[in-house]
Amino acid sequence: MSEFSFLTNGIQYMAQNPKMLVMWVIGALLIWLAIEKDFEPALLLPMGFGAILVNLPLPGVVGESGIVKWLFEKGIVASEAFPLLLFVGIGAMIDFGPLLSNPRMLLFGGAAQFGIFLTVVLAVLLGFPLKDAMAAGVIGAADGPTSILVSQVLHSNYIGAIAVAAYSYMALVPIIQPAAIRLVTTKHERMIHMPYNPKAVSKTTKILFPIIVTLIAGLVAPDSVALVGFLMFGNLIRECGKLEALSQTAQGPLANLITIFLGITIAYQMRAEQFLTLGTLIIMALGLFAFVFDTIGGVVFAKIVNLFLPKDKKINPMVGGAGISAFPMSARVIQKMALKEDNQNHILMHAVGANVAGQIGSVVAGGIILNLARIWGMI
Amino acid sequence: MMQLNAMAVLFKSLMGDVSGADIGKSFELMGKGMLGIFIVMILIYAVIVILNKTSGTNKDTK
Repeated sequence: MSEFSFLTNGIQYMAQNPKMLVMWVIGALLIWLAIEKDFEPALLLPMGFGAILVNLPLPGVVGESGIVKWLFEKGIVASEAFPLLLFVGIGAMIDFGPLLSNPRMLLFGGAAQFGIFLTVVLAVLLGFPLKDAMAAGVIGAADGPTSILVSQVLHSNYIGAIAVAAYSYMALVPIIQPAAIRLVTTKHERMIHMPYNPKAVSKTTKILFPIIVTLIAGLVAPDSVALVGFLMFGNLIRECGKLEALSQTAQGPLANLITIFLGITIAYQMRAEQFLTLGTLIIMALGLFAFVFDTIGGVVFAKIVNLFLPKDKKINPMVGGAGISAFPMSARVIQKMALKEDNQNHILMHAVGANVAGQIGSVVAGGIILNLARIWGMI
Repeated sequence: MMQLNAMAVLFKSLMGDVSGADIGKSFELMGKGMLGIFIVMILIYAVIVILNKTSGTNKDTK
């Protein structure tokens, strides 16, 4: 009978490691959220399946020559290639036109990063080491690849939890943002109309914009240049007008391929012994805090700007909330809220401008955090 | 002496000891981070305004 013990070794192993069973439940929950609730299915489904895959007995996919371990070491640890390559696809998807015709929206893309830094302070007060606090704060970038890259470069112990939080809360933007915005605005403010008179944007501007933004990021915040550079490279492919096939490939097959492997690769950090900790729970809570205060930061900044504007030029403060980089979901949420208050209030294009500015703001924020970490000798 | 005080553990929190140095750095990060973001954004803002003014021809209105 003992000759067949190899068939029961796995079951015995699981009995001795019940935490792995909890990870199966978490994996199943992520898959359920992806399929039934449509929560960022492209990322949460691979992560959910990966959470089950990496919590199977014996070497499996995480042993010395395990495929998930190899993908993590080569695609994330060694080069940060996966999140960066995904940025080429994201850059090719983004139309910066609404921002280029209304560039003051850039300021909201900056203000709405406030939650990142407030979260770092809170995380430090909760007792996290500074590097983990900084990584947790970047969940507020509302930008999965940036969160993964920064937490990896900082060698955070919570990269798995941070990725799960970043993508989960992005899916929850339609719930989080309206609640946060209502908390700090009056009905009257939410009903402010903003006429949209877009200025013409030349093709030359659209081509030079990604190049110049890369130069500025490289000179002012050098650690953001990989993120900004790859984002802008994707955008240049889109806007140059000569590489339509490459643009479509970057937006479609490239982004899809990377997404498939990014989710399952991040799951390497969802091994039970690493993931099932009090720290993970607190990181999830900090991520929510970061999202809420990013939104509030943008909204309050718009309210401050309004103090200096004439009555007919006031900004609907909800547009400030779109300065987080959950693109394009945040802009859609803001437009929906505006229509709910007044069915003739169309602020979508302003919100889109703030939203794409948030995409730039979040990668710059990530780069500045890495810059300071380097100056402080943390990396 | 000031350095030693900053490094000292101020209190024990949920996840571990909290040092004055880390609190100081987190606030420094907030100040420098927000300032840095606004500097980059204002620079990009200026560039867009200049580009919009100088590349007036060949319009591709959105």
